[in-house]
Amino acid sequence: MDLSGIFDALLTIVGSPYHMSLLLLAVPIGMFFGAIPGLGGKLGVVLVIPFVFGMDATAGALFLIAMHAVVHTGGSVPSILFGVPGTGPDAATIVDGLPMTRKGEAGRALGAAFGASGFGGVIGGLFILALLPLLRPIVLQFSPAEFFLLALFGITLIAMLSGESLVKGLMVGFFGLMMAFVNLDPQTGTQRYTFDLLFLWDGIDIIAAVLGIFAIPEMIALGAAGGAMARVDKAAASHGRADVMRGIGDVFRHWRLSIRTSLIGAFIGMIPGLGGDAASWICYGHAVQSSKTPERFGKGAVEGVIAPETANNSKEGGSLLPTLFFAVPGSSGMAILLGAFVMLGIQPGPAIALTGMEIVWILIWGLMLANILAVMMFILVAPALGYLSYVRGNLLIPFVLILTFLGAFLAVRAWENMVLLAALGTIGYFLKKYDWPRPPFVIGLILGPIAEDSYHKAMSLWGPAFLLRPGALIMIGLIVLSIGFYVYQQVTNRRKSIWLSEDDH
Amino acid sequence: MRHVLIRSVALILLVACSQETTDDGNFYHAKNVSYIVATDPGGGFDAYARLIGKYLKKNLAADNVIIRNTPGAGHLVGAITLFRSKPDGLTIGTFNMGLIYGQIVGKPVHTFDLREFEWIGKASGEPRSIVVSNQCAIKNMEDLMAAEEPVKFGSAGLGSASFSDTMLLATALDLNVDVIPGFEGTEGEMSMMRGEICAILGSTSSFTQFVDSGYGSLILTIGGEIDGIPNAMDFAETEQARRLVAIIETLARLGRVTAAPPGTPKDRVESLRAAYKASLEDPDLIAEAHTMRRPIEPAYGEEVYQLVVSALDQTPEIVAMIKKAIDGAQ
Repeated sequence: MDLSGIFDALLTIVGSPYHMSLLLLAVPIGMFFGAIPGLGGKLGVVLVIPFVFGMDATAGALFLIAMHAVVHTGGSVPSILFGVPGTGPDAATIVDGLPMTRKGEAGRALGAAFGASGFGGVIGGLFILALLPLLRPIVLQFSPAEFFLLALFGITLIAMLSGESLVKGLMVGFFGLMMAFVNLDPQTGTQRYTFDLLFLWDGIDIIAAVLGIFAIPEMIALGAAGGAMARVDKAAASHGRADVMRGIGDVFRHWRLSIRTSLIGAFIGMIPGLGGDAASWICYGHAVQSSKTPERFGKGAVEGVIAPETANNSKEGGSLLPTLFFAVPGSSGMAILLGAFVMLGIQPGPAIALTGMEIVWILIWGLMLANILAVMMFILVAPALGYLSYVRGNLLIPFVLILTFLGAFLAVRAWENMVLLAALGTIGYFLKKYDWPRPPFVIGLILGPIAEDSYHKAMSLWGPAFLLRPGALIMIGLIVLSIGFYVYQQVTNRRKSIWLSEDDH
Repeated sequence: MRHVLIRSVALILLVACSQETTDDGNFYHAKNVSYIVATDPGGGFDAYARLIGKYLKKNLAADNVIIRNTPGAGHLVGAITLFRSKPDGLTIGTFNMGLIYGQIVGKPVHTFDLREFEWIGKASGEPRSIVVSNQCAIKNMEDLMAAEEPVKFGSAGLGSASFSDTMLLATALDLNVDVIPGFEGTEGEMSMMRGEICAILGSTSSFTQFVDSGYGSLILTIGGEIDGIPNAMDFAETEQARRLVAIIETLARLGRVTAAPPGTPKDRVESLRAAYKASLEDPDLIAEAHTMRRPIEPAYGEEVYQLVVSALDQTPEIVAMIKKAIDGAQ
């Protein structure tokens, strides 16, 4: 690897006020598109492409990658403060981010989210650097067989996310899986549960689902309870810069988790076809699974914010790899970036390793620098954002509801999606009210289609023998381990509680 | 006081009315035109619409041309939205002409007749090609025609234009293929790189990078000409086979079409066609499209309408064959 080339690229960016000012401009734009539900990074990139058109390749590509890199950093803000995910992958952050806000720890939660996003983004960039030589064999190892089993593995995480009642978790998870079957059957083209409504042909929209299941119930609950999002007195709560710094510190305090989830995120990002939603939920599940005190999750555990946020940003680094070196985009956002790169005169594909490594390094550095810049910018505004959690419900609810409905509409540009949002919001409210876990619903909805689609493909390609592929066997091992670990945890916990209760007598 | 009020209202009304007619007879002057795109932002249809929209604005002297993305149901949502839009000349749209298949076989969801649209023009064709993976034993058309084992073809989901094209070509040329649906976007290319599926039939431009990178090669083309690559028509031996290949060719030629809703007043359709033509012949647009690597091969109004009609008018036997090819798999 040409080390001087790598650092020359860094100098090209840092040494040029023009490039640095482009970064400074791109970062807030990217965060804005992430923070408004329904907009998202893809639309952001499409809208700025005309402005990038006249720039030279380096500047244009740097601007686009910086903007795209920090979308999820922005997306975490409404997740944490209002329970409204800015983008689909930011939904997992709600599960613990919102309870932290309620406890009056909005500042810390935001700090943790920004810190984790920045950390994940940088690790994602380093991951690319480290993995360049091994890229091809690893990416090509993942066929529909492994996709199917990876989705199954994700589905087993439902058990971890069920909280106190496995039965309730499974029921909600299966409800989510059922909703995943609303679409045109990918194999036969038959309409399934679509009631002849065209907007259901492509399935239940993930954005409407997460807004309905998480955001609407929070707003109804807030309206019913009165007061503000934060349930504690303003004086007793933490929202100063010190608390934001404490949140950032949490990322490093849990450095093992942060590194693991960053790597898992980057890895999932690298494999085209799995998507960002899967990455953040699988990482959230992993955080619960690997915690010594899993019962804290869902009630405001800072690790529950760190895990999905690291994954959200690190996966962008991962998905840059197949985009640049195979010209096969790792995500739909990257597909649009790929088109824009081509317009700028950058030719992705294996030949880039021979002719265009300079632009590759620039993109990697741009990705990392944007993530770091985003954290610095947010530290400045985070205390002010934290104050939003003390806005009275009657002022906040109309604003958030408009944002929610607008988000659902914009996501697929269909008014029917707002009806769907209202219906799912009602279901979500009752789930919340009667203390049923909501995350399994999203896991079922997101991973169901991946599992179904890849199962069909694997069966058409190899028949049942697909389960015997080496990668598949490893994944099966992981699934068995995951279930075994859960059973072990449950048995030891039960023994412990029996032992404790006997002690009481 | 009241007189002043009445006079002011009258004046405002007069100005408002004159807006309709001053403008030196130009209806579009200071108005907004909606350009419906049947896909998400990003991708070919969106890119063409944004590019052409910019120049239409200038050539219509409109206030703005606003892109409205209405994705869903394989371009059906966009097409139906356009079909039902108010035919006042202020709405136009673009969608995938693969919808022709649905109309030919009479799918119940096709609640519209493509003949009734007011066709404005098309920006380019999208010639189709078969690309084979370099890991596959099939190296050329002769290998494919002589294959004893079914050759694995990937395609997008059932009902998609890509699936229908593949099934129709397989029927026309009597190919021994196993079409595996569900490969959206670039998933098919990844699958070819892994050595799973052998080939894909798709729009030629989408394979450029794949082929340039050395992962595969083109072995057949339909609806366009590529040096050294045989044309599907050369392999069609019967009249029926030629008719079937001709349908795919026509769809390939139609490519990126633009239409207005049925019933749009004739004079406004003419203004739209003229502005569309002026836009696509503008050297600046051509230069921009070149940088974006989007080919421009325009056709206008009546010519596009004739292409649509020629694809739709099929004998009952051909319709039965198409139906069998597309629905038989279900």
